[in-house]
Amino acid sequence: MAAIRFDGVSKVYGDGTRAVNTLDLAVEEGEFMVFVGPSGCGKTTALRMVAGLEEITAGTVMIGERIVNDVSPKDRDIAMVFQNYALYPHMTVAQNLAFALKLRKISKAEVDRRVRDAAAALDLEDHLERKPKALSGGQRQRVALGRAIVREPAAFLMDEPLSNLDAALRVQTRAEILTLQKRLATTTIYVTHDQVEAMTMGDRIAVMRDGVLQQIGTPEQVYTQPANTFVATFIGSPAMNLLPAPVLGLGADSLLAGFRPEHIHIGSAPNGCVAFQAGVEVVEYLGDEQLAHLRLGEYPLVAKLPVEQRLEPGTAAAFSVARKAVSFFAAETGAATDPPS
Amino acid sequence: MIAFPLRRRQRRDEGGQQALVLDSDWRRPSVRWGLGTAHTVLLVLLVIIGLGPILWLVKSAITPTQDTLAAPLSLFPHGIAWSNLTDAWNQVDVGLYLWNTIVLAFGSLVAQIVIATTGAYALSVLRPKYGNVIMAALLTTLFVPSVVLLVPLYIEVVHPPLIHHSFVNSYWAIWLPEAASAFNVVLMKRFFDNLPREIFEAARIDGCGPVRLFVSIVLPMSRPILGVVSIFAVLASWKDYLWPLLILGNTSLQPLSVRLPAIAAQTELGVFLAAMLIACFVPIVGFLVFQRAFLRGTGLGGALKG
Repeated sequence: MAAIRFDGVSKVYGDGTRAVNTLDLAVEEGEFMVFVGPSGCGKTTALRMVAGLEEITAGTVMIGERIVNDVSPKDRDIAMVFQNYALYPHMTVAQNLAFALKLRKISKAEVDRRVRDAAAALDLEDHLERKPKALSGGQRQRVALGRAIVREPAAFLMDEPLSNLDAALRVQTRAEILTLQKRLATTTIYVTHDQVEAMTMGDRIAVMRDGVLQQIGTPEQVYTQPANTFVATFIGSPAMNLLPAPVLGLGADSLLAGFRPEHIHIGSAPNGCVAFQAGVEVVEYLGDEQLAHLRLGEYPLVAKLPVEQRLEPGTAAAFSVARKAVSFFAAETGAATDPPS
Repeated sequence: MIAFPLRRRQRRDEGGQQALVLDSDWRRPSVRWGLGTAHTVLLVLLVIIGLGPILWLVKSAITPTQDTLAAPLSLFPHGIAWSNLTDAWNQVDVGLYLWNTIVLAFGSLVAQIVIATTGAYALSVLRPKYGNVIMAALLTTLFVPSVVLLVPLYIEVVHPPLIHHSFVNSYWAIWLPEAASAFNVVLMKRFFDNLPREIFEAARIDGCGPVRLFVSIVLPMSRPILGVVSIFAVLASWKDYLWPLLILGNTSLQPLSVRLPAIAAQTELGVFLAAMLIACFVPIVGFLVFQRAFLRGTGLGGALKG
């Protein structure tokens, strides 16, 4: 395993599109780093630059102690798992797993051992002689993971590996990847647009937008202390409620106040809380909780509430939010700022 | 496409596709009888049109010459002349010309496959800087009629640049010009263009260089198009007449397509027809043997999320 470092890395395409803009980021040895952001934010491009599949326009990428800008993909000692599996269709599962090892002239006994171990770890032992077309989607993705594992590389690069699986399989495979990564302790960069995956899997999360790194931190830091309004609204579902601070009587026009839906409570405000009256527009009943779509003046809010306190759409009710749960952002730049005194 | 009930059911089971005529329609007597009759008539017509000439050739090849001359359209021969076949093999030397044809066809196949795959691989996967210009030039050559090229090509074969050794009476004079087929390169490139790039990228990360990527990944994934180009190459070479006639003056090097018309006048009709039967027999058997391997869609099943 090895640390991975981006120093001022940029990628500009021929048509002038700046996919990644001066990215500075360090992934520690053995760390599970998640790049998350909306489509076109540059997360996959950044990953592909580590893999050597994209030329680096400016800056340096280091794997371990080595600058790899001009190192070919096969010599970077990385393994990549693709969104679409990218299995070799004419090879059996065993041949798919063994292909990279054979190219590296590893002894047959060692190849057999590693293939067997990977197959056992991923529950693929019964499918080794099958071709990819005879496997289900989940099995194919496990073969793709196995192909990365057998290499025993310095780093895993995963490009939205779960996005083609159905919801149940995604949860199961997510857990398998995590278990595997913790056991192997291999440095991993994992790209996803799904913030739930990012939150549940990453040791740290790097949130990107328009090629620019917005924030890097643990899932808790990113969730509780978003660096700007983009991170605040992108991470968390439903998104953080944002409205001008004066609406809640919390400061000047130049500030936005933000609070998570689960921080809204029904009823009048105890000490240290901000109270407001809002209209109830729609209530989504989710079984264990309910999402209430509220309107405070012209501003829509979403509240995540316990199901015991049923709300009637079309009525108005009193709500409160704890003062310490409110984050503040500069209205002009969107950057997080200190609470007003 | 209208199909028989059995085929229709199989197709539906395999691909879950709807047939043109539903099962419920087939249970109606008017549909069953009407379409059933149409199927039978069509099948008989197809057999007569497709197999008729070949069966007629088989019949004529083993009919005594006098019999064929006396009653060329009689359905059944008066006596069988197996000697026509042995005479064609021994006296007309059809075996030698058949061998020449096979060598020519095989050489053409190899040359065309090598050039088409490597050329297309370079243009589609390796993508050199001026690949688009080269591709445009290749496409341009497709608009030049082959007859126009006959004389310049002949001059080039007689006086090849750099080598200064005439290729006349050499199979290289057939193989090399056929190998330089822009059509094959374009066809192959279009196929390579549609192969998933992620697989190439996975292979590069796994440790493939350009040559290994070509041999271990691209070629095995290209079996369907290799089959198509192979059939085109072999058929074109098997039937080619004008260019071998110009280049191969030495009769012992000539293929069947050149030799059979040449010997027609001085060969007994029955023997000549037997020679033609032998000439047809090999490609037909070859096609029947290899058609499944060539035309079966090996495809990209399971490689990517579909």
